[in-house]
Amino acid sequence: MANYYDIDDVLAEQEFLPVLFQQGAEGVGLFDSGDDANEVEAGAKVELPFCLARDLHVRGVVAIDVPPYFRKVSRTRKEIEADAAHVDLRSRCQYFYELGLKIAPLAGDKSIGPFLLVAFQTRYKEVLVKAHTAASAVASKHLTLLTNEEVKLCEAGQSSTAAFKK
Amino acid sequence: METGAQDGSSGYSTMDDYESLISTTDAELLKRAWQNEKAAPQILRFEAALIQRSREQIKLMEETVGEFTRNGIDPLTVSLYQMDLDRTVFLLRSYLRTRLQKIEKYVFHIQKTAELWNRLSRQEKRFAERCIEDMEKHLDQSVLSKLPSSYKSHLKQSSSSEEDDMVPEPRLDTYVICRSKRFLGAFQLDDRQFPVNIEADDLYALPYKSIKPLVETGQIDLV
Amino acid sequence: MYGKKGSELVKELASSEPGQLSAFNNDLFAQVIDECTGHLHHLGSLIRKIEELKKIEEIKKLNNQELEESEKQLLKAHNSGALIHHLSLLRNKRCLMAYVYNRAETIRSLGWAVERVLPEEIEEKLSGSEKEYFKNHAASLQSYMSELDLDLAVDMVPPKDPYIKVRVLEDIGNVLLSDQSANLARHAILFLRRTDAEQYISQAIFTLMLW
Repeated sequence: MANYYDIDDVLAEQEFLPVLFQQGAEGVGLFDSGDDANEVEAGAKVELPFCLARDLHVRGVVAIDVPPYFRKVSRTRKEIEADAAHVDLRSRCQYFYELGLKIAPLAGDKSIGPFLLVAFQTRYKEVLVKAHTAASAVASKHLTLLTNEEVKLCEAGQSSTAAFKK
Repeated sequence: METGAQDGSSGYSTMDDYESLISTTDAELLKRAWQNEKAAPQILRFEAALIQRSREQIKLMEETVGEFTRNGIDPLTVSLYQMDLDRTVFLLRSYLRTRLQKIEKYVFHIQKTAELWNRLSRQEKRFAERCIEDMEKHLDQSVLSKLPSSYKSHLKQSSSSEEDDMVPEPRLDTYVICRSKRFLGAFQLDDRQFPVNIEADDLYALPYKSIKPLVETGQIDLV
Repeated sequence: MYGKKGSELVKELASSEPGQLSAFNNDLFAQVIDECTGHLHHLGSLIRKIEELKKIEEIKKLNNQELEESEKQLLKAHNSGALIHHLSLLRNKRCLMAYVYNRAETIRSLGWAVERVLPEEIEEKLSGSEKEYFKNHAASLQSYMSELDLDLAVDMVPPKDPYIKVRVLEDIGNVLLSDQSANLARHAILFLRRTDAEQYISQAIFTLMLW
């Protein structure tokens, strides 16, 4: 893994996802009791961090449920289509793009990729404009809507503006 | 040396002029090597000969400035020579520093990849070996020695890993700004459907991966 | 469990100022290590069960029999459980390694910025191993610099030239500057003191020529 130590990647993979157990699992204290005899039955619905969910999904132990905000028919998609720049993506998922990219190959929904791209491209312009021009009050309000990746973009834009002014 | 300091009484000979010409070219080469190294995500070939010459010229310039100062040459001229000297020294230091920082960051990957390892100078190789030693010891003491036996490797996540899956690598698909000295014609980049026409002196923003061989053979410079 | 504490460690890194170190979180670190021991324990008993079931399978095979459906499901369930604990171990390992590794990066940058001795307020934030790492790294750098007979820890910003090169854009004629009298003729290229040139640059009478 070329990005094994990358902090953002580590945190993005901690995002929780609902999964459906396709078979039972023995000896797992998923409900925090640490009890040896604890088991999960086939058909159980549990929330797991992505790093576990992915490998279990690939082995057929669980099936990942695509979070609502990535689904084809969802309020998020409608809001992005209407006015991408002002959608509060941060409250859906701080690592919206990173998680979306990781889920896309597992979900079997080919529309996720293009959707992420369109969302990013539309919001990108707004992020840059605000980074270079906005007064700090407006800017900090805007920041609360941005995902992790977008915040970094914004900060990069602001620091280069500051450097330029020097 | 910048032109403009034509002082007949300083005793310039034709040989000095010729040498100034050579060192101007080297100054350009040093600047280019520095820019390329700063912008490239991966470590580039060590410019051993250029660095050697640059160090010799620095020594020469230091002596010249010393002489001028002793002989009471006008301050403007001395300043110009001093500026040149300062600039060259800065470039040299920054070039070497940039390389060391790349080595520090990607030392495991560099060690594993013969092509990259061979781009290091002798001293850099020794430095890299010490970096590996220092880092391995630190990771072992802090983390690995406290983990179960099949999870103790600093290269493989567990003994069931098929390959070294813990080695950080630079991202080669980052975009860089580049310029070619010559017209290179239609150049096929990996993931584009149509080739890009590379004209001389135009700036292009391209993924490093697609122009990597051109940078390595000196046909394209990074900005 | 299952990586939550591990990611808290990493979150700490994400929330600290770039280039700044918070105190090494010995407590949380130790808790994550303890979790690993817990996962190993569960993994061990699951593997033992799996081997028992496999033995039964072998014996049944010799008698041209198969495992009962319930036994097959049990074997599957144990394998899944083992996988979950193994993945949790990998996750915790990654968090611990990322914590130490990224802090080490910051520690290295200190080695470039400060002398070989760390200021006390930074030193007290480091773990024992980190203090040792800092020393070793500083020594490795020093060794390289000695070999080259070149100090690389200075000169970190490009030199600000006292004299700069400019091109005159307008015909101004002769002017008396702080150290010389210059003819500001259009297109002339001149070397002037930065302080003298600045006012003309801001009025767009000169343009700065970069080297």
